[in-house]
Amino acid sequence: MASAASQTAPGAPPSANACALATWLVPGAGHFMLGDRRTALIGFLLIQGLYLAGVMLSDGMFLQVLPPEMRGRFAGALTPEAGNLGALLLQGRQVGFGNGVPRPFPEGLHVGMILTSTAGILNLLLAARAHFDARARSGAVIEGAARHPGTCVLLGWLVPGLGHLLQGRVARGLVAFVLIVGLFGLGTALAEGTNLDRTRHFYYWAGQAFLGPIAFGAELANGHAMMTERPEYADAGVMLASVAGMLNVMLLLDVYGFSDAKLFGRPLFNEGSRGGAGEAAR
Amino acid sequence: MNDLGLHIGLFLLVTAVVVAVSCMFTEADDARALRLFPRRYATFVVISAVVVAVMLVAEHTFASVS
Repeated sequence: MASAASQTAPGAPPSANACALATWLVPGAGHFMLGDRRTALIGFLLIQGLYLAGVMLSDGMFLQVLPPEMRGRFAGALTPEAGNLGALLLQGRQVGFGNGVPRPFPEGLHVGMILTSTAGILNLLLAARAHFDARARSGAVIEGAARHPGTCVLLGWLVPGLGHLLQGRVARGLVAFVLIVGLFGLGTALAEGTNLDRTRHFYYWAGQAFLGPIAFGAELANGHAMMTERPEYADAGVMLASVAGMLNVMLLLDVYGFSDAKLFGRPLFNEGSRGGAGEAAR
Repeated sequence: MNDLGLHIGLFLLVTAVVVAVSCMFTEADDARALRLFPRRYATFVVISAVVVAVMLVAEHTFASVS
């Protein structure tokens, strides 16, 4: 009986987790499973187009930026490109760390790596969107209660705090922007811009990538200067800038959770809900 | 001990940002998140100070090479 009850009924929407996982492997696959072929096609073309353009510009060398002692089977797992898993696995299989013969980095290496990492992050956002869309088909969504969480998270990645602004949480959005961008600016100043170069700080750069165009713009503007000596506070600066990006991930989760709760009519997670009976009695 | 004041200042600044974001993440209501901040920040700093003290004691006893 239990197994019969757990079977998916004919015509029932696919599970949200399956849609998210499918999108992780192939951009747009989750929406294709949901029957939203327009979003699926746009997502696939946009994300894989960005990734392909990045691979062409960087000559597929983004993993070859890693020093030999840091290379390994899972070296790509902590990169933004891992958000577009299928493409990363394919690139790793086709190019990987190269054929062992050193060659100069192409001129478009940095722009290419920005594009491949942008494709990875956008695919994560698309997977989150597919997860919500799948749940929205099987649950009761309150129309107009909030903006789509996927849209708010995308804006929050483009500019920290913008997702909160879109949700009407103006003060929180402004505070988030000042704190996150301020921390990133402080880190960049301490490191004298050395934190912005992926060839110098491969994994710390991955953290910064979650600040979106602000980090990428700073890198393109002044991220690859020749250094004659190591900045005194380079380590602290690199760490602070990377922490700023990771903190923005927490803010993106806050943005997603807010819209999700509003649209499904659920109470928001807060201290009060963890306070149990004592809090409820107040 | 060079630049100790600068390091402490940076630490206090960075932890303020970390704690502020954690308050936002924990509490959906802005006013309640703001009220949470002082206690959380003080707790974070005090616990960090205890960890520093333990590390200094360990360094000057078990790890001392002088």
